[in-house]
Amino acid sequence: MRGLHRVKMRVNGRDYELEVPGHERLLDTLRYRLGFTGVKEGCGRGECGTCIVLVNGEPRNSCLTLTARLDGAEVTTIEGIAPPGKLHAIQVAFIETAGVQCGFCTPGFIMVAKALLDRNIDPSEEEIRNWLTSVLCRCGSYHLYIDAVKKASEYLKKGVVFIDERDVREKLHLRVVG
Amino acid sequence: MSRPNYVEIVESIFHKTKHIKTSEFKYIGKKVVRWDAISKVAGRPIFTADLFNLVKNPVFVYSVRSKYAHARIKSIDTSDAERYPGVIRVFTSRDVPGINDIGYVIPDQPMLADRKVRYIGDTVALVVAESLENARDAGELISVDYEPLPVYLDPLQIVDFETLREKEHVLIHDERGTDILTRYRIRVGDVEKAFKEASVIVENVYSTPAQEHAYLEPEAALAIPEPDGSVTIYVKTQCPFDVRRAVSNVLGLPYHMIRVIAPALGGGFGGAEDVGNEVAAKSALVALALKRPAIIIHTREESTISHTKRHAMKAYYRHAAGRDGRLLGVEARIVLDTGAYASLGPFVAWRATVHSTGPYRVENARVDLVNVYTNKIPAGAFRGFGNPQVHFAVERQMDLLAEELGLDPVEFRLKNILRNGDRTVHGQLLDHGVGLEEAIKRAVELSNYYEKRKLYESMDGVVRRGIGVAVMYHGNSIGAEGADYSAVSIIINRDGSITFRSGTTDMGQGSIQSLLNIAGEVLGVPLSYFKVELPDTASVPDSGPTVASRVTVMTGNATLVAAYKLRQGLNALASEMLGCRSPDQVVIEAPRVYCIDKPEKYITWRELIEQAFWKGIPLQEYGYFRAPPAEWHDETGTGQPYFTYTFGAIVSEVEVDLETGITRVLGATTVYDIGRVINRVGAELHAIGGYVQGMGYALTEDTYYSPDGKLLNPSFSAYHIPTVLDIPGKINVDFVEAGFVRGPFGAKGLGEPSIVGIAPSIANAIAHALRQKRAKYGVNKIPVTPDFLYEVIKKYELKKQ
Repeated sequence: MRGLHRVKMRVNGRDYELEVPGHERLLDTLRYRLGFTGVKEGCGRGECGTCIVLVNGEPRNSCLTLTARLDGAEVTTIEGIAPPGKLHAIQVAFIETAGVQCGFCTPGFIMVAKALLDRNIDPSEEEIRNWLTSVLCRCGSYHLYIDAVKKASEYLKKGVVFIDERDVREKLHLRVVG
Repeated sequence: MSRPNYVEIVESIFHKTKHIKTSEFKYIGKKVVRWDAISKVAGRPIFTADLFNLVKNPVFVYSVRSKYAHARIKSIDTSDAERYPGVIRVFTSRDVPGINDIGYVIPDQPMLADRKVRYIGDTVALVVAESLENARDAGELISVDYEPLPVYLDPLQIVDFETLREKEHVLIHDERGTDILTRYRIRVGDVEKAFKEASVIVENVYSTPAQEHAYLEPEAALAIPEPDGSVTIYVKTQCPFDVRRAVSNVLGLPYHMIRVIAPALGGGFGGAEDVGNEVAAKSALVALALKRPAIIIHTREESTISHTKRHAMKAYYRHAAGRDGRLLGVEARIVLDTGAYASLGPFVAWRATVHSTGPYRVENARVDLVNVYTNKIPAGAFRGFGNPQVHFAVERQMDLLAEELGLDPVEFRLKNILRNGDRTVHGQLLDHGVGLEEAIKRAVELSNYYEKRKLYESMDGVVRRGIGVAVMYHGNSIGAEGADYSAVSIIINRDGSITFRSGTTDMGQGSIQSLLNIAGEVLGVPLSYFKVELPDTASVPDSGPTVASRVTVMTGNATLVAAYKLRQGLNALASEMLGCRSPDQVVIEAPRVYCIDKPEKYITWRELIEQAFWKGIPLQEYGYFRAPPAEWHDETGTGQPYFTYTFGAIVSEVEVDLETGITRVLGATTVYDIGRVINRVGAELHAIGGYVQGMGYALTEDTYYSPDGKLLNPSFSAYHIPTVLDIPGKINVDFVEAGFVRGPFGAKGLGEPSIVGIAPSIANAIAHALRQKRAKYGVNKIPVTPDFLYEVIKKYELKKQ
């Protein structure tokens, strides 16, 4: 994998043509080349899950994934799970169950939740736990994140996928001067 | 001396509101979604490393660390590294313009090692290069000529556990002449007599591990040289004003030439107190010397090696009780391992001493504590700050005593806990706001304790269950450690929007939301009116450090004072505009403002603010609060160490597999007396999150070293924090609101208290599951790993029963 590799990738719905060294991690491509800093690096060894993104719909530790191997791939990060101005139902569920603390692990959890719910819109608690275990949270919000996935499942079952960010803000009285 | 105005304000609001139920407030105690929730679920907050994208032409700074845990440095040769491609410069201790020290409490820690190294992690040189890879590679070429010295990894190699005297050894801190960092003591009553009169005496030795914070965001810093010779530093830190002090020291610059900004923090738990000083000072040194932005980012391994840990403890405890179940006396010898440097060790040791007899009426006590240097990673601040260690020992002792007396652990505790009107062991009168009895009773009820206690005792077989209780108390804020103040400023802009500035950081704990709830309640405006400014030493008031469970109480009081002052001015003006009978008849329910008896006739918030602007009514207020003075007598360990205490009761249920030694936590209940719930979401998350972190402390988390002092488990695959698969199905959470006169609306802190009683409640549940009396004495160490518990099971032949 020496030298530069040409990689065509679709990231968050946009096509990119990149020339990357063979050892470049997807994490660095996303964070530093393309500016998707919602992807976090907590350990660099595939242990904490904060860097998880979807590659062709599969949750992957972007710190263990080489960009050069992703020619033709479709990558989704936290920045790409909802159109501009909207939030994904999973994000809204994470807000409403109010489990977010420092927020460093949150994108990882939401990406794993999305991969799970894309496969099974109505997962059992055991399935939720088995999927979420790929991400660590040191603030200890696990219980609320499990609840959030259940709540997201309810939204999705009702066909609610995207919600206007403005509506969420108004409903929650968040930082809008009235 | 007359009482300051801010004390009058806080107390008068407490008295005015103490009979109001929490449910009757508008924001206080309500489930308000935190102000930054949308941004966080969208992955938008800017953590320090997220800024690196925006920087042009940066240099990368890599810390070359010591390969020896204890050695003299004879010489450092940097020439090969300097010739490496991409390397710009190598910095050693000679290049520090100010004082080469980053010690937090005492100056014992060189930023760049000069004469000696004291643990594997001391920085010997900084390699600065055009890329991080080049800097790291060149770091391998730094050649240090070491003269190795004996390595001490156990404080009992340095002090005698019986006498607590220092042993003959090669000093780690030869410049200090001793490796005892601090000693504290309590001498109260007549301990000899208490033990002579005792019906039951219980003694045991306890040990607790050096826990790692394991916050998920590794440390990072970005220093930018400014045209006027000053420097701006973005850094992961809990305490931007402390960073400024440290950087000033190292660079020899006055404070106003150093601007520190704390971006979003991915967890802190006390660990981001002093390491922030270190990475900020290193990056600032490089940025000013090279006139280019300087970046430091730690890998997980560097993070684990470079930031402090929780102090490991080894303690001997002896308790005496009468036939009636009253505690008669306590004797304890406590050894804390502070590692290679003091960090916050002196304060941790003091807090451990203050709390060393637990939340009980103790009239006779003899406690000696020493905090000892070793060649391990320094120990410093970690949520609980010395208190979880001593509570583990005390609460195990209480269960053993109860068993010897034939009493239920809850009944035994109820005979001895602190109540209103009691004095603490230090002689401090607790004349109000002690809600411990109520907390125990509610925890017992919520957990169905008595029924399960009986049921589990009847279970046989290799998989057993146990239920255990622990109680705790925790002094709020920094007490007699130092100057205890906080400050905020609230600015009502001409359009009615409000800018909120404080120097306290939100590392995830959500206490800024508590401040907004307080300000919103007092001003009568929706929380959506507020914009929270980042902590930035150039623009926010110095709120003191974000530590010690102090934000809701201390900064909360400062917020209350600022909001109250604004409200006073606005009430007077509104009363005049509306023709109310008096200013206190004014109701603000923004956007409406009206007289209480004429709600239909109103002006808007915008109109009121516009008038205030023209009439010169202050729209910018500074709120300040200083804690009531603390006192401490070193010779006796008596005084008023903290102005108030948070109390709590925790019940844990476990399942223990006697075949494997594996413990699973099945359920938990926590009830804390926090005076008044200000931010319900934050309080519940603390109760739950503190429990989960406490589970790790109880069951899996420990740091292991090779004989030559290298940390063996600096990764998440080797250092096990709880995962979503480890947590119990449900954690019941409830609060007692006993009201503290000098807290905002009566509130006390919960940040640290939430971890203090967890490990002992789990260990007590494990002991309960083991059922055999002698074996229970064997549960004297955390973490209770499967290996350790299996040893206990084998030793006491529990499987055969």
